[in-house]
Amino acid sequence: MTMTTLRPAIVAGLTDLIGTMADDEFVIGFSDSEWTGIAPLLEEDVAMSSLAQDELGHAAALYGLLADLTGSDADALAYDREPGAYRHARLLDHGRGDWAMTIARRYLYETADAVRLEALVDGSWAPLAELCRKLVREERYHLMHVGSWFGRLADTPGEPRDRLETALAVLAPDAGTVFTPLDGETGLIDAGILAASMSELETRWRSVIGPTFARHGLAIPPRTDRPARGRTDHGAPFDWLWGEFNTVRRSDPGAIW
Amino acid sequence: MTSTDAAERRAPQDRAQVHAPELEPWEVFRQEKDGDPMRHGGSVMAPDAELAVHYARELFGRRQESVRLWVVRRADVLDLDDPDLLQPPLDRSFKKPGGYVMRDKLAAARAQSGQAKPKARQG
Repeated sequence: MTMTTLRPAIVAGLTDLIGTMADDEFVIGFSDSEWTGIAPLLEEDVAMSSLAQDELGHAAALYGLLADLTGSDADALAYDREPGAYRHARLLDHGRGDWAMTIARRYLYETADAVRLEALVDGSWAPLAELCRKLVREERYHLMHVGSWFGRLADTPGEPRDRLETALAVLAPDAGTVFTPLDGETGLIDAGILAASMSELETRWRSVIGPTFARHGLAIPPRTDRPARGRTDHGAPFDWLWGEFNTVRRSDPGAIW
Repeated sequence: MTSTDAAERRAPQDRAQVHAPELEPWEVFRQEKDGDPMRHGGSVMAPDAELAVHYARELFGRRQESVRLWVVRRADVLDLDDPDLLQPPLDRSFKKPGGYVMRDKLAAARAQSGQAKPKARQG
C-alpha cells in the first residue's frame, strides 16, 4: 500500500494514530529532559538526557511521517498548536515530579508503547511498519533501563519504595490512557495496519505488566474510568511544559534554525 | 496496597537501615569497529553491574561510536605497579627486540670470512 492508494478514511485513521504516537513521544521526551543537570548522579544525568533525546528523535520521525501523509510540516505539527490540540496520553500530564514519579511514568509508558509498537510492526502500510520496527530496536534499551530502576525502587524498603507507591497511586487513574480508543481504529484493523483494537492492546499490556507488579507486591492500576478523556484536558502541568518547549520557536516565528 | 499501608507495615528502625547504595568505579573498554582491539575508553560510577552497563552504553555508545563494550569492576582488575617487578634497576635493553646493535658484530664477521656485504635486493 503506498500513500497514493490510501482511502481517505484510512488516511484519517493513520493521522489519528501517528499523531497520538508522535505527541506521546514528544511530550515524554520533553518531560524527561527536565532532568538534565539535576538527575540523581552524573551518569544517570547523561543517560536520562540521552533517553529523552531518543524520544524526541522518535517524535521527529513520527511527525515527519505524518507530514508526508498530510502534506504538512513536521516542525509546525510539533510546535505550532495550542496546548488543547495535543493528543498525548494523560499519563504524561503529571509534571516531572520526583525521580520515582519519572520512573513510574516511564515504566507504564514504555511497556504500553512496546505493546502498541508490536501491534504495528507487521502492518500492511510499509512506511509505518518499517518505522515501528526501527523504534522497537531503540525502545528495547529504554525498557531495560526503566525496568532496572523500577525494580530497584520497588525492592528497596523505606523512601524509595514509598515514593514509588505514591507515584503509582497518582498515575493510576491515567495509567492505561495510552490505549485510549481512536476514532478510525476499526478501519486500520480492517486494512491490516493495526493488529488489534486499543482495548485489546490494553488487555495485552495488563498481562505484560501484571507479573512484574505481582512480583513486587504492587497494586496493578485499574482501568481508566473516563476513557473518552484519555487524550484531552491536559491541565496546568502541560500548559507549563508547552510554554517551555515553545520558547525558542516562538521567539522568532518563521525563522529557520 | 497503598503507600500508607506500606509505611505502617514497617517499623521506624527499618527505615534507618536503608542506605543509599555505594557507588564504585567501573572501567569501560570499547571496540570502535569489528576487528579493532578493545581500548580503554574511561570509567563510570555505578552502584552495580546492571546500571554500570547502562551507563557505559550511554557514555561510550550513544553516538554509535562503539560496536562492543567490556565493563569491568575496577576492584576486579589485578593492579600491578611494583617497580621491582616492572622497572628493575639493571639494564634490560638486551631483552628488547632491538636490544643488540648488530652492525659492528656483522662487519667483524664479514671481515673474518672475506664475504662482501650483500647488496640491497632489486625491486
